[in-house]
Amino acid sequence: MTANAKNLPLTESRNAFSGRSIQDYFIIFLALTCTFIAFSPFGYAILTSLKSEWKSGEIIPFIQFEPNLLNWQQEFGSGGAETMKALRNSTLISLGATIVATTLGTLAGYGLARFKYGIGNRNLVSWFLSQRFLPPVATLIPFVLMFRDLKLLDTLPGMVIVNATFTLPFAVLIMRDYFADLPPEMREAALVDGATEFTTFLRIALPLARPALVASTLICFAFAWNEFLFASVLANRNWKPYPMLVAGSDTVRGIDFGFVTTRMLIAVTVPVILSLMVQRFIVRGLTFGAVKG
Amino acid sequence: MTNNRAKYLFLMPGVIWILAFTLFPLIYSFGLSLTNYRLGRNPKYIGFENYAEILGIGDEKIDKKAVSTASFSAFLFLGSTATTLFFGTFVAWVFNHSLPFLRQMRAIVTMPLFAAPIAVGWLGVVIFNEQSGPINNVLEGIGLGRVNWFIEPMPARLAVMFTDVWQWTPFVFIIILAAMQSIPDDLYESARLDTKSNWQLFKSITFPMIAPALGTVMLLRMVESLKIIDIPYSLTRGGPGSVTQTYVYYAYETGLVGSFQLGEAAALAYLLVIVAIVISSIYFYRVRERFE
Repeated sequence: MTANAKNLPLTESRNAFSGRSIQDYFIIFLALTCTFIAFSPFGYAILTSLKSEWKSGEIIPFIQFEPNLLNWQQEFGSGGAETMKALRNSTLISLGATIVATTLGTLAGYGLARFKYGIGNRNLVSWFLSQRFLPPVATLIPFVLMFRDLKLLDTLPGMVIVNATFTLPFAVLIMRDYFADLPPEMREAALVDGATEFTTFLRIALPLARPALVASTLICFAFAWNEFLFASVLANRNWKPYPMLVAGSDTVRGIDFGFVTTRMLIAVTVPVILSLMVQRFIVRGLTFGAVKG
Repeated sequence: MTNNRAKYLFLMPGVIWILAFTLFPLIYSFGLSLTNYRLGRNPKYIGFENYAEILGIGDEKIDKKAVSTASFSAFLFLGSTATTLFFGTFVAWVFNHSLPFLRQMRAIVTMPLFAAPIAVGWLGVVIFNEQSGPINNVLEGIGLGRVNWFIEPMPARLAVMFTDVWQWTPFVFIIILAAMQSIPDDLYESARLDTKSNWQLFKSITFPMIAPALGTVMLLRMVESLKIIDIPYSLTRGGPGSVTQTYVYYAYETGLVGSFQLGEAAALAYLLVIVAIVISSIYFYRVRERFE
């Protein structure tokens, strides 16, 4: 974890609440308020998903309304086939994209961290990051035609290609940063022993980079899981991922709040849990290395 | 020699991937923007006519919908960027104290960032609901009265902006917090000899020290704000009318829904690519030393 405990002037004591000033309590109050604002919409959605009959203002479970799992049972029970298929699609697409992006990203990240290239390493980094700066519609339009000609519309490989493309920048940057921080002597020692560049990478660098590999995998997976725009055009039948079901929640039965919030929560759970596991890498991953976390 | 070949082998797969799936589509897209291509019809080269139609050059009248959607995108570009920077910095300041439970709370505060934007839009539908949503209930409770979030233009624009701000404030927060935590303690030690005021400390030390990170985050937020489409797609469907339709949403609708006017949509998208290139050039210029 990053050093969370850089002391600001306000605190001297570290043990629980002993010797805390009014100001400390005020800061904790502010932090609680921020946490409440960030969490309460999720909390409200959870409560709403536990109501089968939706009434305004009823928010306290057991006292104001009797919570039940009808919405959840319906999503996985009677509507289960559609849900399970979309979740399966999302899982396979995200998994495929993550494998491709992390593999390419690890190789490129290692190259950028260890060697100097003629055209300039920073130009190469810009090359890899450019995708994140482009408005997605600009590449989505030609993708429709390319995929039509290549027979990739509504297929798993097609969706893997799309999602790998826009998660690749995260993988390259996370891996590059991590490899750059490893001591170069290790690699040199291995090379002196007669190992090739590739064996050195495989036997020495890669095992050491396991934490970054985990982070890159989880971040790529989370972002691929959330992708909606490309899927809405390129995979709208057999390979529909879960966000497409979420997007179409109203057309099925009008707006049924219990139903909508249930789907929303299913969509949100996976990436949010993954994000909690990689807090340490998030800063670098998201700023493309511009800010060290 | 082996060394030289090896170093290109590491790089090549990724470079080729980007070439095939980012650069090639981008060039393809530019080619398309010079045609009148509609799905199911034969494309014809028409030069820069699509661009002339959008921008109102020559005999053409300016594309009013492009202008109105661009103005909503500009509204988000300025409003959402400024608001997330302000709140994100404030939240970072709050969490940059060593107090109990802040670490656990910090993880919760970052949650909105990782939720699928399309789902966050739906969350907004529930929260902003005019009859029964908690926001209107609270507003009525404190005597401000109900707001017609989805019927009136300005409230609808604000609903989209607030939802986006809720999702992206954590992004600014975690980055600025990291920047604040890298400020050496002794800077504060010496400054505290002169002043006890938190605001003075923030102004004279914290702010100047986080300014570079703020600049970086601002550019990233600007780029992201130009891409907003998922949230209005599920929150307002661009309505009422098209007041909450963003520019990318309009390009999407032109090219990929209904009549599939791919040529015109590609031209719309390309104008935005130019803006994105300008912003990203500034970004890469700023971070250039880091990657050598």
